[in-house]
Amino acid sequence: MSQRNRQAAIAGVHLTEQGDLTDRIQPEVWWEAVAGACADAGVEVGDIDGLVGEAPEGAGIRAFLPGAALGYDTLGKPLRFHATTAMGAAAAAANVHLAAYAVSSGLADVVVVATAAAGQAAGFASANRDDAVKTMAKLSGPYEYIYGTTRVSDYAVLAMRHMHEFGTTPAQLAEIAVAQRAGAVLHPLSVYGGRGALTVDDVLSSRMIADPLHLLDCCAINQGGGAVVVTSLDRARDSNHPPIQMLGYGEGHSHIDVNSSPDLATFPAAKLAADTAFDMAKVARTDIDVAGIADHFTINVVFGLESAGFCAVGEGGSFVESGALRLNGSLPTNTAGGFLSFSHAGSCGLFTLIELVEQLRGDAGGRQVRAAELAYLSGVGGAMQNNFSAIFGRA
Amino acid sequence: MTTYEKFLPEDIPAWQMPFWKSLEAHAVAVQRCTECGTFRYVPKELCPSCQAVGADWVPVAGEGTIYTYTVVRRGPTSAFQADTPYVIAHVTMSEGFRMVGQLLDVDPADVSIGAAVRVRYLDVTDEWTLLAFEPA
Repeated sequence: MSQRNRQAAIAGVHLTEQGDLTDRIQPEVWWEAVAGACADAGVEVGDIDGLVGEAPEGAGIRAFLPGAALGYDTLGKPLRFHATTAMGAAAAAANVHLAAYAVSSGLADVVVVATAAAGQAAGFASANRDDAVKTMAKLSGPYEYIYGTTRVSDYAVLAMRHMHEFGTTPAQLAEIAVAQRAGAVLHPLSVYGGRGALTVDDVLSSRMIADPLHLLDCCAINQGGGAVVVTSLDRARDSNHPPIQMLGYGEGHSHIDVNSSPDLATFPAAKLAADTAFDMAKVARTDIDVAGIADHFTINVVFGLESAGFCAVGEGGSFVESGALRLNGSLPTNTAGGFLSFSHAGSCGLFTLIELVEQLRGDAGGRQVRAAELAYLSGVGGAMQNNFSAIFGRA
Repeated sequence: MTTYEKFLPEDIPAWQMPFWKSLEAHAVAVQRCTECGTFRYVPKELCPSCQAVGADWVPVAGEGTIYTYTVVRRGPTSAFQADTPYVIAHVTMSEGFRMVGQLLDVDPADVSIGAAVRVRYLDVTDEWTLLAFEPA
């Protein structure tokens, strides 16, 4: 019997290897992530009855109907629920909200959210940087890409405007990459942790990609997978980990055409998402112990901090310069390294969420933030085009 | 004319062609809402101010100031890379809306937000004329 109005919780998480997975096929990596998250949650894969977001990749109708693709073709039985958000790289992490909805409303009992990039894929999921950069350049549409814009330049113009309005400096942005690399060094799965710690000078002396963003202001381009299992709080209590609940959630959808956004240094839609999430969770900014903020480029973190109200608008640069984002700082952020140094593969906001779950469980090892009880997560689709915010805590 | 290997507009719907045809004639025509007078760029089916469909294609002055910019040093393809460094400018036009384009004939080190620019036309193929900017 379906149970309505029950509480939901994240019961399991799993990360696969991250890096160059060209010798594997995407469905295998996707399944490894899902099976791993089920094992972590203490549920059988046969118990999966809901999917939010992507299924193992496929062509034609399989690509468009992920819920159907996970039914008899993959699990050997029908699926009870499928839904998805449309938020680009933020989709998978935002999808955890829909998974919680499905469980709390009785539409499904064990819902998986997963992302994976692997194999000889072309375009976004490619391990080939030239191919990925070319494909992503065209995301912006013909009124921009014909001029030779790239994903980096799409954010560089925002960074340039922020610097102009508020005096944000390249060295302040560099500190974000430095702080996050320190976390990546302590995470065995991170793609760049093995390269060791960074200094501000390392970032500033890396080659310029699109002014003011240097190579080390930009995220990695790699492959990998991860998954989260959401189930009822009662069932999550049977696992070997403290259940993690979403206490608040909000979205803010802004614009498609960059010319439509009235301002390119502050983003009301991102603030809307954060305000909604904080209002729902009934917690204060100062209650947050650890954060995960989308970081395709260092400047994103400044936008994320300011939009969430962790500092005043325009003061993101000085906030990060104070060391706030470091593991021992006032708001440790992207403690596994984020997209910059941990992994940027598939709908990688999910990896940022998984790190927060590990922090809240107290399982983050050398990266563990002391007394981490409340976590803030935000994600961005496109260039500040879609935004979501969420707040998590132990049940 | 040598082969143009950089990106050209793809999948432009017929209703947006008046903009591209205006560039061919070395002018800029932009949609203006017949109901409320709001400019629409890039072309849009619905007015963002009043959601009306109707719009006239009206000529604009082709002048503006730099709102923000970047200098691209890593292009999306080898054809673009051959042109690096090049400047992408977001320009606030004198009519109030913003447009994106390359800023030509300028040393990247000399570009600054607020600087005055004007439209320029690049006849890149027999079929396509692209918009660009140059210092005013």
